[in-house]
Amino acid sequence: MNSKHQQVRAIKTTVWLLWAYFFGCALAMGQTSHTISGTITDKSNGETLFGASVFLVGTTIGGVTNEYGFYSITAPEGEYILNISYMGFNDVNLNINLNQDLKQDVEISEFSTELDEVVVTAEEPERAILRKPEMSVVKMNVGTIKQTPVVLGEVDVLKSLQLLPGVTNNGEGTGGFHVRGGAQDQNLVLLDEAIIYNTSHMFGFFSVFNADAIKDVKLYKGGIPARFGGRVSSVLDIRQKDGNSKNFALTGGIGVISSRLTAEGPVFGDKGSFLVAGRRSYVDLILAAAGEDNSVAFYDLNLKTNYSINRNNKLFLSGYFGRDAFDFAGIFENSYGNGSGNLRWNHIFNDRLFSNLSAIVSRYDYDLNFDQDDFEWVSSITNYNLKYDLKYYLSDGFSLDFGANGIYYDFDPGQVQPTSPDSPVNPLQLDQKRALESGVYINAEHKLTDRLTTQYGLRYSAFSRLGGQPITEYANGQPVVYNSTLGIYERGVALGETDFARSDAIETFGNFEPRVSLAYLLNEDSSIKAGFSRAAQYIHLLSNTSSVTPLDVWTPSGPFIEPQLSNQYALGYFRNFLNESYSLEVEAYYKNVDNRIDYIDGSELIGQNTIETEILNGEMRAYGLELLLRKNEGDLTGWIAYTLSKSEQRTPGGNAGGPGINNGDWYNTFFDRTHDISVSGSYRWNDQWSFGANLIFQTGRPVTFPNGQYEYEDLSIASYAPRNSDRLPAYHRVDVSATFKPRKYQNKRFKGEWVLSIYNLYHRKNAAAISFGQNVETGANEATRTAIFGIVPSLTYNFKF
Amino acid sequence: MKTKITALLTILTVSLVSCTDVVDVEVQNGPERLVVEASLDWEKGTTGNVQTIRLRKSTPFFDTNTTTDVTGASIVVTNDISGASFVFADQNNGEYRTTNFQPRLGQSYSLRIEYNGEVYTAQETMTSVTDITNVFQGREDGFDDEVLEVNVVFTDPPEEGNNYMFKFQREGDLLPDLEVAEDEFVNGNEIEWWYEIDDDDEDLEPFEPGDVVGIELYGISRPYYDYIKILIEQLGGVGIFETTPVAVRGNCINETNPDNYAFGYFRLTEVVRTSYTFVED
Repeated sequence: MNSKHQQVRAIKTTVWLLWAYFFGCALAMGQTSHTISGTITDKSNGETLFGASVFLVGTTIGGVTNEYGFYSITAPEGEYILNISYMGFNDVNLNINLNQDLKQDVEISEFSTELDEVVVTAEEPERAILRKPEMSVVKMNVGTIKQTPVVLGEVDVLKSLQLLPGVTNNGEGTGGFHVRGGAQDQNLVLLDEAIIYNTSHMFGFFSVFNADAIKDVKLYKGGIPARFGGRVSSVLDIRQKDGNSKNFALTGGIGVISSRLTAEGPVFGDKGSFLVAGRRSYVDLILAAAGEDNSVAFYDLNLKTNYSINRNNKLFLSGYFGRDAFDFAGIFENSYGNGSGNLRWNHIFNDRLFSNLSAIVSRYDYDLNFDQDDFEWVSSITNYNLKYDLKYYLSDGFSLDFGANGIYYDFDPGQVQPTSPDSPVNPLQLDQKRALESGVYINAEHKLTDRLTTQYGLRYSAFSRLGGQPITEYANGQPVVYNSTLGIYERGVALGETDFARSDAIETFGNFEPRVSLAYLLNEDSSIKAGFSRAAQYIHLLSNTSSVTPLDVWTPSGPFIEPQLSNQYALGYFRNFLNESYSLEVEAYYKNVDNRIDYIDGSELIGQNTIETEILNGEMRAYGLELLLRKNEGDLTGWIAYTLSKSEQRTPGGNAGGPGINNGDWYNTFFDRTHDISVSGSYRWNDQWSFGANLIFQTGRPVTFPNGQYEYEDLSIASYAPRNSDRLPAYHRVDVSATFKPRKYQNKRFKGEWVLSIYNLYHRKNAAAISFGQNVETGANEATRTAIFGIVPSLTYNFKF
Repeated sequence: MKTKITALLTILTVSLVSCTDVVDVEVQNGPERLVVEASLDWEKGTTGNVQTIRLRKSTPFFDTNTTTDVTGASIVVTNDISGASFVFADQNNGEYRTTNFQPRLGQSYSLRIEYNGEVYTAQETMTSVTDITNVFQGREDGFDDEVLEVNVVFTDPPEEGNNYMFKFQREGDLLPDLEVAEDEFVNGNEIEWWYEIDDDDEDLEPFEPGDVVGIELYGISRPYYDYIKILIEQLGGVGIFETTPVAVRGNCINETNPDNYAFGYFRLTEVVRTSYTFVED
């Protein structure tokens, strides 16, 4: 099935079918219709608005703007009122006479020009969310994110997302996030379309996304559109601001841990704008001042600029660079970070056909410098991505997305370099790996009746593990062997190596990924939706620890590692009530993932050239029920989110023989949470004061505790229970914040505000881990709890100029 | 070096962590198992004739009162090449002893234990060790530049695949410290191995002039390295960034009832022992 020839044929067939279908649909349109198209922007700063609703009043004809603020709607000839709405903005109604194709760009303005307006948006304005088949999607406005109380006052995209159903972290002090019982490496995280491999600074204390530079955040928990591929659990699509095209503006904040400054303004006359945002922590400076030799620091830099060549052509250039650096008293230094760049060309072929071409590069690397032992350890992953996406608005009830992309990866899993001639360490280079991942897709959004809308699409993805490295051969083809005498898994016997030339593919894979969803409008206030999506993932993050670390390494699929394949089924009920000021979303999901790798007891991943000797092939499954009740309007806004879920994995022995890991039984993943409750609210007391609060309760995370002890080598040795068969105590906390805007600024261009926040108000010592050992004085066994944050008050000053 | 990378992660997080405390936790109770501590260690320069094997029982994790000594077992070790066998006599305190053991480097031995109608067996090869060439004290090495450490110097033999275990114990301290090393990145090189007690440790003081530290360097087989490395990693508990802990299985098989395997290990090593007394620097 994986031969190159068959793959090429499969791609050709797919492409042919897609085009045939595409023209078929285009021909099906009969009536005399005209198209109105244009761009919706924020009047105050010229930022394009994504997800704004554009709608012909009195009809069911409408749509939403795409990532670049572009809309196109087609309707029979006639006079209409064009309604444009976007949460937190004033509605605009325009009379139009649709007797020819029209171009209509619209600027809309915010309700209020206060800093940090409280804006909670659903996917898009409530009216449209019911009709659109897209489900399992969370869109967060930066305004909402900024309102959420967070630890140390540092506004955090990822922590805010974790207050919503189906999204969780893996405990305090750990990076990343988990979506619907999926692993961290199963999330595709995109910043202006560039893949971000590590989402956190300082081991998860902060996220890498500077809220001042971000326009919007969209998380696909399921029902992933066909244009995305490469990860099986979720897509987090984060877009940077384009920069203010009206005025020069400065935004900034001074906090206890870090400060940030953003400058933006028009460039190239009225043809473009730019944004430069920087953020830096100063813990290192404080530590240095306190006479500490150790230091930790992080910084990041966001850049964006765009240039309108003409009405139909626009260029965007964006970049991100972030880094963490630790220095341990000159004994060792560690730094790691992401870097990315993206050059995009938006081209509007005509009022119905929108296109975007992107050339993207992104890289993650880390460096460990052991000063004392005179050696350096470096590792990196780099990818180059070329991507072409088109959207064709065929008719009122039918639009098509289609496109293709190709990603070339370079993996450098690790190299050791002695840094002086007397280094005791020999140089070492783990095999560098290369791969090519490509995809073509087509997706239709199709309104079948006034009540029933569907979205159906297909993605074909292909992956070639490229040569240029040797591959080890094992006795009987088994890199891992079960030793039935000792009852343990052992590394297989290496027989030799085969060298693959750079021009050869070591292994190729191809997968069809159908994505289907539908929405049925029950009445004006409620709808039901159902969806199915299949996704393939070709690169995997290797981690045998309970939390992923910044030093974990990505590895491509190949002769010993199969691509992960997931199927997800979701069903949901959506309802707006009390004049659309409240909304209720209920979703149930089930997903399974084939080919999830698991690690044998005693697996060694650091400096490991033959990963295949440490792993077995398993599977995952997750299911759950999510409930989100929101109050969208009024002085008090917020939500209650509840998730009931299960996430498990199973790894039979397979080719290696034996019962498998954990006896081949299903066991809880590290990120299984039975109950997860978040209550988040903000209250606007008056023009000067507003308040926010969060309440979080989660079932404790699965862990492995001892189930016995024995004496050996004069020590008490703990023997552990089956994997993840115990749990930490329940996690809960309350955070509060108060925001004060001094009156004197209210009518001036300069606006400032103070944010006081208290994290973990009642100082609960939530266990991040419990470890078991012997007391060195008494020799008795004891359990030690590690708690990361007790009560953490903080004060931040934000300004906008 | 791999160990150092793990240690680094632990230190990074611990340094960011605000608090740890001892708590009461309920744990599960696993099956009671026989524990075999059959460590036949041949100290360089001795005959190695006297060897002791200990048998005990495992207990619930927080149990402190149970007597775990196992008596009434019969133990024989056989040299697989010469066929010579050595009977270990029951000392009625959990110890079994022989006085005529003949250690042979590189030779394979078998262990056979009969206890409670069940037969446990194991097989292992006696592994040699290189000499310690120097021991000195310093402060610059180690994670902490301010505390004293002891440096043990030895030269890894040119052939690949040497594995080591260190046992350090300061006189007066209750518990020893075990560490392991392999020659994967340092094959054939002169190695300086430091050991210190850093001052972050709440219960133990760093080394001071006058302290005496016992040093043992064992040559161990690769299977034993894999085994003891996991045991050591799991000592003192498991933090956020450490591997999921497991019930570590040694090489003692229960021939009668395979599920009722024994904890512990049948190891045969060569060992060099020395000690170092810290002086003012």
